[in-house]
Amino acid sequence: MKRFNMVLVVILLSSASFGQKYFTKNGKINFDATSPNSPEKVEAINRTVTCVVDTKTGNIQFAALMKGFEFEKALMQEHFNENYVESDKFPKAEFKGLIDANDAVNYSKDGTYAVKVKGKLTIHGETRDVEANGKMVVQNGKVNAFADFTIALSDYKIAIPGLIADKVSKTAKISVACQLELFNG
Amino acid sequence: MNRKTKWLYIAAIFVVAISSTAFYIYKEYNRKNSDTAELEADYTVVAPTIIKEFETNDSLAGKKYTDKIILAEGIVKDILKDDRGFYSVMLGDNTSMSSVKCSMDSIYNYGALKLQKGTYVTVKGVCAGFNADELLGSDVILVRCVIAKNNK
Repeated sequence: MKRFNMVLVVILLSSASFGQKYFTKNGKINFDATSPNSPEKVEAINRTVTCVVDTKTGNIQFAALMKGFEFEKALMQEHFNENYVESDKFPKAEFKGLIDANDAVNYSKDGTYAVKVKGKLTIHGETRDVEANGKMVVQNGKVNAFADFTIALSDYKIAIPGLIADKVSKTAKISVACQLELFNG
Repeated sequence: MNRKTKWLYIAAIFVVAISSTAFYIYKEYNRKNSDTAELEADYTVVAPTIIKEFETNDSLAGKKYTDKIILAEGIVKDILKDDRGFYSVMLGDNTSMSSVKCSMDSIYNYGALKLQKGTYVTVKGVCAGFNADELLGSDVILVRCVIAKNNK
């Protein structure tokens, strides 16, 4: 019986460290394309981001519906969807990548682990390689994932009309924050 | 009408036209999203039914529902809270991974506090589309949601 319990503990500990998936359907992405000289904020938040992290492989992916981005001003939101990212044509933004040096993250031990994330980001139907600094915070069996990307809007064929070029930056800062839970599916 | 009066009229019309245009532009520029609670629903649906519609034909259902005001009825599967205290209510069938995910409007966020898992509620929100995911289950996304009816 004692041996059986030992084996059980070893199996449980092993599964806690290897091959588990963490997920959320409630992640957040902040989008900020405010021009440095503009007093007006061009920013939006999406609170319906899905994210999955495979602790064994370090695979990480997230997805967000473009129409899930909420701006403070309705006109800004309409222009974002209709003119810039063409949400009807390209409804989803996706990232698929890898956590660099994933082995350094101990998912079964509380702590904050600085990571680098590399992968492919698709927005507006355009896919580009991106690299971002991030961190994984392990706390009480939950994993919080954070990453910040800066992208050039022109890389994703998002054109900003000259009339508002002083308000909208040529680059956008994308901040991802996901409180992940163990996936039992 | 003498010449001076005529010019005064023209100037007045000009000033009124310019002011009206400026006011319209200012108002339009600063327009906020409409209050969901005040909007008439375009469609009243039961959660598993709208999920099924999207699963059957994502494109067709997207054209029908996206950007429309949806009154969605269903069983509360889960109530999610993010680190800033914003709630999302998951409606649907407990045997399925898929849901109608209702992201609460910030001014009506408190409405989710009164909900309990397993109760039947009606939520009004704006459809942002369908997030298909084979692993996690596919969700119909509603944003700027307000609890329309809590049947308890």
